[in-house]
Amino acid sequence: MTRPAPAAPRPSLPPEDPATPPGAFERLRELLLGSEARELANARARIAALEEAQRALPERLPAALAAAPDADHAGRLAAALAAPVSAALGTAVRTQPKLLVDGLFPVIGPLIRKSIAEALRSFVADLNSAIESSLTPRGLRWRIEAWRAGVPYAQVVLRHRLACSIDHVFLIERESGRVLWHAAAPELAALDGDAIAGMLTALGEFVQDSVGKTSGGGLESASVGEHLVWVVAGPAANLACFMRGAPPPQLRERLQQRLEEIHLHLGEPGGNGPDASSWAAGLEPGGLLSAADAALPAGRARLWPWLVLILVACAALGLWVVRDVRWNARVAELQAALATHPGFLPLGIETKSWRALTIRGMIDRDAPPLEAVLARADLGKVTPKLEFGRYVSGDDAIVAARARRLLAPPAGVGIAVADGVLSVTGSAPAGWVAAARERAPLIAGVADVDFRLAERLDRAAALQALQRLAARAAELQVPFAEEAEPAADAAAVLAAIVAVAREAAALAETAGVTLVLQSVGSNDESGGEAINAQVRALRARWLADALAAEGIPGVEPVAGDPGSRRSAWLRIRIEPAP
Amino acid sequence: MTAPSHKLCLLGDFGVGKTSLVARFVRSTFSERYLTTVGVKVDSKLVERGQLGPAKLVIWDIAGRDALDALGMNYLRGASALLLVADGTRESSLASALDLLMQSRSIVPRAVAAMAVNKLDLVDEWEVGPAVLMEIRRSLPVFETSALSGDGVEAAFADLAARLPA
Ligand SMILES: Nc1nc2c(ncn2[C@@H]2O[C@H](COP(=O)(O)OP(=O)(O)OP(=O)(O)O)[C@@H](O)[C@H]2O)c(=O)[nH]1
Ligand SMILES: [Mg+2]
Repeated sequence: MTRPAPAAPRPSLPPEDPATPPGAFERLRELLLGSEARELANARARIAALEEAQRALPERLPAALAAAPDADHAGRLAAALAAPVSAALGTAVRTQPKLLVDGLFPVIGPLIRKSIAEALRSFVADLNSAIESSLTPRGLRWRIEAWRAGVPYAQVVLRHRLACSIDHVFLIERESGRVLWHAAAPELAALDGDAIAGMLTALGEFVQDSVGKTSGGGLESASVGEHLVWVVAGPAANLACFMRGAPPPQLRERLQQRLEEIHLHLGEPGGNGPDASSWAAGLEPGGLLSAADAALPAGRARLWPWLVLILVACAALGLWVVRDVRWNARVAELQAALATHPGFLPLGIETKSWRALTIRGMIDRDAPPLEAVLARADLGKVTPKLEFGRYVSGDDAIVAARARRLLAPPAGVGIAVADGVLSVTGSAPAGWVAAARERAPLIAGVADVDFRLAERLDRAAALQALQRLAARAAELQVPFAEEAEPAADAAAVLAAIVAVAREAAALAETAGVTLVLQSVGSNDESGGEAINAQVRALRARWLADALAAEGIPGVEPVAGDPGSRRSAWLRIRIEPAP
Repeated sequence: MTAPSHKLCLLGDFGVGKTSLVARFVRSTFSERYLTTVGVKVDSKLVERGQLGPAKLVIWDIAGRDALDALGMNYLRGASALLLVADGTRESSLASALDLLMQSRSIVPRAVAAMAVNKLDLVDEWEVGPAVLMEIRRSLPVFETSALSGDGVEAAFADLAARLPA
C-alpha cells in the first residue's frame, strides 16, 4: 500500500510590494541570490524548452513511433510499451466492453460460425449413422418408440444420441461443503469427492456473492464441454449431480424430490453425516436416471395398453399365418389328389384363404365323381366351385369304366383294360356276347379287344328252346301197325323222342321250370269207340314204357283224342317250378 | 465413508505460503513460483490420529487477505478448524493473521485454531521476534513452519486434527 509521498514545499518568493519601484527587488534578488537566480532562470528556460518539446510530442510521436521499428532500439520500445498497452487494454475492456465486443465481433463471428458448422457437420454424421442403423434392433426399438410417442424418428434418435449419463451424485452439507454421501457411476475412476464438493460449494458462495444476496439464487448449474453439473439446494444439504449429455428435464424435479426426502432423514446439522442406508439407494446414478425416465409423462402408464395391443396383434398375425399355412397345405393336398384323380385333368385352382376355392379342369364323363375327393379335402365352410370342360380320357381305368357303361355286361362278365387292351372274361349269354364283340372295338380308348368268354344260355333262351322242343316232340309220332304193335320205323322215331326229352330235361334246369311229360296214344277212325280207347291207352303205355326203358322215367300215359292216326307221341308241358 | 470429515480453513495475508503449506501437506511438493490463489482451492487428506481414529480433513485454501469480506466469511462457514498463516519475514502478516482470527470468531466461534509462522527456512530474515511469538502462544498454539523444507507442517495440521471430534 504505497501512498504518494507528500509534495515537496515549493520554493516561494517574498511577496511583491507595490510601493517599491519595479526592478528594485530584481536587483536585490540579483545581489542576494545572484548565482541561484541565474540558475533559476536557466532552469526556467530549460523547463520552457522541455514544455515546448512536450507540447510538440503528440505531433512528433506518430512519426517517431513509425520510425522506431527501423531503429536499433525497436525491441526496447516494444518492451517498454508492452506493459502500458496491456494495462490500457485491460482498462478498456473493463470500462468500454461494448466497444471491444463491437470491434471483435467481425473477427469472432466467422470463427463461431465455423465452429458451429463444424459441430453440426459431425452431429449430422452422427445422425446419419444412427438413421442408417435404423434396421438394427436398437433402431427398430427407436422407431417403435417414435411411433408410440407420435414424434418423428429423428427426434427420438436425437434424444438417445444426446442421452444423459450421470457420473457422480454428491450430497453436500450446505454450510461446510463436506460430502455427506457420494456415489459414482461404476466405471469411473476414483476422485477426491471432498475437494470437488468443497470447490462446488465455494463456487456457489462465489456466485451468490457476485450476484448479491438479495437475488436469492445460488449456483444451479454449470457446464464445461459435455460435462454438466446440476446443484439442487436444500436448507441443510445440497445435491450435486455431475452428468454428461442432455439430462431429461424431469431429473431436476426428481433430484429436488430426493433432497426433500433426505431432509426428513437428516439429523442434527453439523453432525457427521446421517445414516445413509435409508435414502442412499434413491440416489444411485442409474436409479436416478431410470426414475427420471419413469417420470416421463404417462410413459409407463401408456405402455401396457400398447403392449396388450401388440400382443393381440401378434397373436392375430400368428393365427392368421397358421390359418393361412393350414389352408395352403390343404389346397396343396387337394391339388395332389386331383392330379392323380383318374379322368380329370386339372387346369388350375384359385383360392382365397378359407373363403373361396375354384377348381378349373377337364373331366371325363366316366371319371369317378370328385365329390369324395373334395369332401376329404376338409375345406371348412368353403364350397368349392367347379369349372369343368369335357374330354375323353385314355386312362385305362376310365376306358374300362366307359366299356362297362357301353357294354353293360351281365353278371359273370369281367371287364378290364391294360395298356388300351380290353379284356372281357367270364361267361355270358350268347346274344350279349355277339353284341359285345361287335361293339367293343369301337369304344374310345380301346386299342385291341381280347375276348375270353364262355357263351351261356340264359333263362329266357332256355325257355324258348324248351318251347321249340315241346313243339318238335309233338311232331314226333311213333307209328303203330295195329293195336299195340309198333310199325317197322317206330324205333327211329322213338330215338328222336328220347333225344328231345333229354335236351328238354337239361334246358328245364337252366330255365328254372319243371316239365310234365305225358305219353299220348292216338288211333284212326276205324273200329268201335270202346276198342279205340283201349287201343289208345295201350299205345300210350307202350311209349311210356319204352321211354322208361331209355332212362326217362315218370312219363304219364294219357289217352289222346280219337280220330287222327295210329301213333303215340310225347307231350312236354312246361310248368313253373314249385 | 468411515472417517468423519472436517472442514479446515487456511487464513492469512497474501503470499504468506498458505497454498504452499497445503501442497506440502497434501502432495509433499513445493514450488518457488508464486501463483496467487483466486477465490478458494479445496483439497482433502485423510489423517491418522492414533486412538481417535482417522479423520478426513477437507482443506479450504482461501485467497490471501488482511481482512475478511462477506465472501470470505461465507467460505469460513461450517469450518471445524482454522490455520492462521503468517510470514515470519513480514511482521505485518502476523498482525493480519491475528486480525483474521478475531474476525472469524463471529462466524465459527467453536472452531479449533492454530497459527503457522511460515518460511522458517528464511529465519535469518525474520522480522518476527521470539518474544512476540511467546506472547501469542499464551492463547493459541503456534508452529514455526517451512513449506519449502516441510518443517513443522505436519505437526501444525496434526495438532488441529487431534483436537477435532472423533
Ligand atoms: N523460502 C520459502 N518460500 C516460501 C515458503 N512458503 C511459501 N513460499 C513462497 O512464497 C510465495 C507465496 O506462496 P504461496 O503459497 O502461493 O502463498 P499464499 O499464501 O498461498 O498466497 P495467496 O494465495 O496469494 O494468498 C511463493 O513464491 C512460495 O514459493 C517457505 O516456507 N519458504
Ligand atoms: Mg495461495
